[in-house]
Amino acid sequence: MFKRLRVKPEPTPSVDISVSQLIGDASLPVTIKALNSLPENPKLRLYRTLIPLQVLAEFDINPRTWKNPDKLQQVKLEAEAGSDKVRITAWYREDAGNEFFYLELADNPFNGIDLNFLVANNPLAERFRTDFDDAGNETLFGTVHRNLAEEEKAMRAGLAPGQTREGLRCSHIVFNHIETFLTMMAHHAFFLEPLSYVSAWIFEKRGFAYSKGHQLMDLIHKEFQPGGELHKALDGSTPFRQPGQWSTVRGRAWAIHDGILERIDRKWDDLKMIKQIGRHAGVNTFPDAKY
Amino acid sequence: MTQRFQITRAAELESLKIFRDFITECCARYNIPSDVVLELKLAVDEACTNIIEHGYKGMDPGSIILSFRIESDRILVQITDFGHVFEPADAPKPDIEAALEDRPLGGLGLFLIYQTMDNIDYQSSGDGNTLTFTKYINRETNS
Repeated sequence: MFKRLRVKPEPTPSVDISVSQLIGDASLPVTIKALNSLPENPKLRLYRTLIPLQVLAEFDINPRTWKNPDKLQQVKLEAEAGSDKVRITAWYREDAGNEFFYLELADNPFNGIDLNFLVANNPLAERFRTDFDDAGNETLFGTVHRNLAEEEKAMRAGLAPGQTREGLRCSHIVFNHIETFLTMMAHHAFFLEPLSYVSAWIFEKRGFAYSKGHQLMDLIHKEFQPGGELHKALDGSTPFRQPGQWSTVRGRAWAIHDGILERIDRKWDDLKMIKQIGRHAGVNTFPDAKY
Repeated sequence: MTQRFQITRAAELESLKIFRDFITECCARYNIPSDVVLELKLAVDEACTNIIEHGYKGMDPGSIILSFRIESDRILVQITDFGHVFEPADAPKPDIEAALEDRPLGGLGLFLIYQTMDNIDYQSSGDGNTLTFTKYINRETNS
């Protein structure tokens, strides 16, 4: 047994870079904050690689100008100098509020990169107002408030918790782009917190491992098996806890979103996943899963 | 020609047997001598136990990625985790001359790995901790 442990070192403060540092030692990671301190044009050239060409092509958006055939701007980059975040948003036609792609990367305190948000929805698909409750409050993906009626409709339409529309099913392409971008910036990995059980399952397929929560995922799988506590808790008491939901990823996800983990004194929080660049971890906490 | 195999499991004691079996299966493919298999399993067991009991202490345990790579003259076993950092060089050397009753519990894992493996390397960063140990083999007499 190893006895002495040293906790992770205190984060070192980020240092702004200039263009000269970009042409320096290529093995040293470059922070988002440092990239954001670049002049607008080189910044745009670098960040442009984050949004997949396939996604833009799907909606006739020029990958170089980010405009549609009507010359309307369809993509926005937010990467202000001094900020440690970069946000790319794409929307469909004139309505900038009708976002179908939203990606946010940020520096974390350990000189690594967090993927804060990744949303890629089909703007032409039916929309469910799961993001606002009856009183007009933002639900924050159903984590703070819930719109039960809309969630039930979304569930029946085949959506996962937190979704307002069906997805574009392009996460594998987006992750390839993120990995290429981060390799260019000399990072070895990036982190994210899965919003739902569905997200965690998809990220497993994309090669992520868990820095926190792998054991919880194993426990969830075990307790959803016939005879397990979560299986028993699918008692039909709410639309989101119907018998049979244990057998699918989405069914489990909606039950978990509905708070079923209380039955085993757990919550869906504090999970963290890591993708090591170029490495597929091969995690599979729900073998032979049906979506 | 390099062959590489990998398995990822949660950092929990129940995974130890799976890791040992994984090493056994990998070695069986290449007719690795049983004494080497035993040493590799012991080293993996000690390293993973340390990760489970100390690396992820105070955290909801994450993953352990165990990979096995075989080359013409050596086996490389790599263990990756995302828990607390451990510095092998800072670990106290166990006093194996001391009487059993005078020895502290534990502390022999790293010693055993150093005794049985030919090379040990430990890399750590915010992106994970990777322990790699190498065992040289004579493939010509084994395959």
